[in-house]
Amino acid sequence: MFSFLKKIFFRGDPTQRQRFVFNVEELRSTFKARYHSFKLLLNANNKALEIMADIEQFLPGERPFGMSFIRASCTALSVNVFRIIQNLNELAPDKYRELYGRFRDIEGSINQILSRRRLPKGDRLVISLREINGEMADETGNKMAGLGEVKNRLRISTPEGFVITALAYQRFFTHNDLQTEIDRRLQSSSAEQIDHLYALSAGIQQLIIRSDIPPDLEQAIMEAYRDLERQVGGGITVSLRSSALAEDSAGTSFAGQYRSELNVSAENIMQAYREVVASKYSLPAMAYRLNRGIRDEDIDMCVGCMVMIDALAGGVTYSRNPLDMRDGSISINSVWGLPKSVVDGSGASDLFVVSRDNMDVIKKEIGNKEYKFVCYPEEGVCRLDMAGEKASSPSLTDDQAQELARIAMKIEEYYGFPQDIEWGISHDDSIYILQSRPLKQFDTGEKDFEGAKEPLNGESLIISGGITASAGVSCGPVFIVKRDMDTLQFPEGAVLVTPSPLPRWAALLSRAQAVVTEEGSFAGHLATVAREFNVPALFGIPGATDKLRNGDLITVDAEGRKIYKGRVEALLVQSGHKKRFMEGSPVYGILKEVSRYIVPLNLLDPDAPDFKPQKCRTLHDITRFSHEKAVWEMFSFGKEHHFSERASKQLLTDVPMQFWVIDLDDGFRDEAKGKHVKLENISSVPMLALWEGMTAIPWRGPPPVNAKGFLSVLHEATTNPALDPSTRSSYAIRNYFMISKNFCSLHSRFGFHFSIVEALVSERAIENYISFQFKGGAADYQRKARRAFFVGRILEEFGFRIEVKEDALFSRVEGVEEGFMKERLRIIGYLIIHTRQLDMIMLDDASISSQKEKIMNDLYSIIKDSRG
Amino acid sequence: MESIRLLLVDDEEDFRTTLASRLKRRNIDVTDVGSGNEAIELIRERSFDVAVLDIKMPGMDGIETLKHLKKIAPLVEVILLTGHGSVEAGIEGMRLGAYDYLMKPYNVKDLLLKVEDAYRRKLLEESQQRTQQRT
Repeated sequence: MFSFLKKIFFRGDPTQRQRFVFNVEELRSTFKARYHSFKLLLNANNKALEIMADIEQFLPGERPFGMSFIRASCTALSVNVFRIIQNLNELAPDKYRELYGRFRDIEGSINQILSRRRLPKGDRLVISLREINGEMADETGNKMAGLGEVKNRLRISTPEGFVITALAYQRFFTHNDLQTEIDRRLQSSSAEQIDHLYALSAGIQQLIIRSDIPPDLEQAIMEAYRDLERQVGGGITVSLRSSALAEDSAGTSFAGQYRSELNVSAENIMQAYREVVASKYSLPAMAYRLNRGIRDEDIDMCVGCMVMIDALAGGVTYSRNPLDMRDGSISINSVWGLPKSVVDGSGASDLFVVSRDNMDVIKKEIGNKEYKFVCYPEEGVCRLDMAGEKASSPSLTDDQAQELARIAMKIEEYYGFPQDIEWGISHDDSIYILQSRPLKQFDTGEKDFEGAKEPLNGESLIISGGITASAGVSCGPVFIVKRDMDTLQFPEGAVLVTPSPLPRWAALLSRAQAVVTEEGSFAGHLATVAREFNVPALFGIPGATDKLRNGDLITVDAEGRKIYKGRVEALLVQSGHKKRFMEGSPVYGILKEVSRYIVPLNLLDPDAPDFKPQKCRTLHDITRFSHEKAVWEMFSFGKEHHFSERASKQLLTDVPMQFWVIDLDDGFRDEAKGKHVKLENISSVPMLALWEGMTAIPWRGPPPVNAKGFLSVLHEATTNPALDPSTRSSYAIRNYFMISKNFCSLHSRFGFHFSIVEALVSERAIENYISFQFKGGAADYQRKARRAFFVGRILEEFGFRIEVKEDALFSRVEGVEEGFMKERLRIIGYLIIHTRQLDMIMLDDASISSQKEKIMNDLYSIIKDSRG
Repeated sequence: MESIRLLLVDDEEDFRTTLASRLKRRNIDVTDVGSGNEAIELIRERSFDVAVLDIKMPGMDGIETLKHLKKIAPLVEVILLTGHGSVEAGIEGMRLGAYDYLMKPYNVKDLLLKVEDAYRRKLLEESQQRTQQRT
C-alpha cells in the first residue's frame, strides 16, 4: 500500500496527473483507506488524551491508586501513541519516521522506571534471632530486626526464635512462579472496588496456601526448628508472625494487616508459614497498600518463628500517649492470658498509666475481663470464659506495671522514638517482649472548642462517653457492620458502626468518615490504622449498634466523646481535612516520575520552528504533533492532488460568510457537481449540528466597546503580523469543514479569531468526542486571556473539560451518546460566532456579566429548540 | 455486512467459550481454539478476517502466534488480548503488525467495535490490492 500511495503522491508529471482523472475508482479506494487511517489516528489520539487526563487526575495524590493502574495506563497510552505514529506514517508514507525514534526513547525511559526492582539481600534462608540486629531489616523485615535489636543489643528478654528471610520468600514465590499469576490477577480486576477486592484477595491467598515449599527451604526451616528445640529443651511449640519488608517503616504501620499463627506444633510449621505469607494478600493488607501507595512487589514477607510463651498475662504498652504529644506518661493495656484480645481490640482490658517522672501508677482502670486466650497443651489457642473475682481483678501487679514501664522507656530511649510494645508474662513471672515498633503520635491541636457547646442543643446529643481511639470530628450516615458480608455494601462516606474493632475492618477505613464501636481500647490495631488515616474513632460505646440505625445522619466528635444527631456544622468547621495519603509513597513517586515523560506539553505553537519530531519530549508532544500533521495531511491530499471530484467545494448558504467543505468519505448525500455544495446535500451529523448552532441566532455585531478596548484592538492589529489576515501563514486562511458522515473538523478564522472544532459523533457512544480550541483575538494579552477563561467557564457548565494556556482555550468532552454530543456542538457553533469580539469588553466587569447572561439565555434556548 | 469470520485463540477455556457464544449471538462467525499451534494449523486450511489472540498462553504465546499467522495470512487483522499491562509486550505486538491491543478486563462491546474496525480495514486493504493488481 505504501508503494501505491507513493505513486499517487508523485506529482509534476502530467501523464500521472491525467491518471487521477480517469481512475476515479482507484482514488476513491485510496481516499477511503486514508480516511480509515485518519479515523484510527483520531481514535487513538482521543484515547491517549483520555488516559493522560486520567493520569493527571491522580497526580494531586488525593485518591488511592496502585501499580496496576500505572502499568495499565502506561501500556494503553504507549500502544495508542504508537498507533498514532503508525497511522500518520500511513497517511504520509514514511514522512514522519523520526517519530518512531523519539517514541522509542520516551517509552524506554518509562519502561525503565516501571521495571525497577529491588533485589533481595543476603544469602540465608533462615537466621537465628540471636544473630539479628536492626541493620538487617532488608533480610528479616523490620519487626524481627527490631526484636533482634531489643534482644541482642538491649539485652531485654524475648522468646528464642529465628526468621524465615526475604530470600526464602523469593525462593518460595519463584519456585511456584507465583508473582506472574498474581500480577495477572491483580491486573484483571478492578482493585479499586471493594467487592472485587474480596474475591481477588481470597483467590490469591488460596493460590499461595496450595503452593509447594521448595525442599531446600523446608529443610532449612526444620533444621532451624530443631536447633531451637536444643536451645530451649524439647517439646516446644512456636508462634509464626509476619515481619514484612516495609512493615512498621516510617509512617506506615500495617498494624494487624497480616496474620499471626500462635502455638503451632512441628508438623504444622509449613502450613502456618504458607498462611502467614498468604496474608500479604489479606483484604486489609491489599486495601492498605492501595491506599498508602505501596508497591506490591516491594513487600517481601519474612516470617518470625519464635518459641510460644503461654502467657499468664499479656498486653500492649505505649511509651507515650499517642493522642497527646504533651502527655509523656506510659500506658499499659493488659489482660489475663495471651495478649491477643488487646491486640485485636476485642473484649475488656485493664489500663495502667505510669508517670514518667516518678514511676508512680497514676491511673488504674480494671475492666471486667469476661474471657481470656490460653494455649492448648498440644497446639492452638482457645478462649476461656472467666467468671467471678478473677475476671474483675487486676491482671498486673503495680510492680509489674512499673517494670513494663521501665522496659518501655529503655526501648524508647534507645530508639529515640515512642514505642508500641507487645509483651507476655510467663508462668514463672518473666516478662518477654514479643514485638516493639514505633508509635506514631498525633497532635490533636488546640483543645478549646470555643463556643462549640453553645450552638448544640441538648436534643441532638444521642450518645456521650466511650474512649477516643482517634481524634477528630466527622459526619455521615450510619452503616452497621457485623459480618464480612456487610462490608460489601459499605457506602463511601458512611460512619462505620460495629460491635468490636476487628483489624479486618481496616479495609473500610479509606471510605469511612468515622468509626464507632461497642468495645475496644485505643491500643488495638484498628485504632492505630484509624489514627494513621485520620479517621475519627470513638470506641467503647455499649449498645451502639442498637442505638444507631442504618442511614441515620450523625456527627461523631471522637475527642469530645459525643455523638450528635444530624450534621453539626459548628463542630465540623474545626476539624481538619483528610490527608493526602499517596503523597510521598513509592507508588506515587513512580506515577510522578513516569508522568514527566507523559503529561507536559512542549509543542504549543504549530507555526513555531520548534514544532517538529525532534522536539517531542513527551508522549503528549508526540500526540499533539501527530494530530496537527494528520489534519494537515488529510487536508492537503484533497487540495494538492487536483482530485477534482473530492477537492473543496464552497458551501452555498444565505449566510454572509464563506465556507469550504472537503468530503473525506461519505459526508455528501449525493455527489456534488461543480464548485459548490448545498447544505441539503450535507449528511455529516456533527457538521449539521455545528451549523445549526452557528446560524441559530443572528450575530448582532460586536458589543459596544469603550474607547480603551478599541485602541487595544488597533494596537495589536498593527503590531502583530500573525494577526494580519493577508499573511499566508497556514491553511487556516479560509474556513474549512472536513467531513464524513460521522466526523467533522472545522478550522475557522473570523477576523482575528482562530478556532478549531473536531468531532466524531455516531451511535458508538464510547468513540464520540468533541474537541474545541479557541485562540487569538485582537485585543491585548490580558483581555485575550480573560476571554479564554470566560468561554471556558461557559463550556464547563455544559460538561466540557477545559484547560486554558495563555490566551488559548482547549476543551473536550467525550464518550457520551449522540443526542448530547449534538447539543454540545450547537453550543460551540453559537460560541464561535458570538464570542469573536468579546475580548474587547473583557476588562469591563459590568458588561461581562450582562454578556454572560445573554449568552447563557441564548444557549439554553438553542438546546430547548432542538429538543422541542 | 456479511458475517465476520473470526478466530479466537485463548487457553482459558471458560473465558473462551463464553466470549465465543456472546460473539456468535452478534452474528459473528466464530471459531475458537485453545492454543497457538491449533490456530496456525487452522489458518493454513481456512480463511479468516480477524483473529483475537491472548498474549499469555502456555506453549506458543500470543506474540509468537502473531508472527506465524502474519506470515501465512498477512491480511488477517489481529487483535491482542492481555491480562497484564506490559508496555513492551504491547508495543512489540503493534510492531509485528497487530491491528490493536485490548487489556483485560474489557467489555464485549469494546471488543466488538475493534473487531468491526479491523474487518473494515481488511476489506479496504483487499480492495486496494485488487485495484493495484488491475493497474
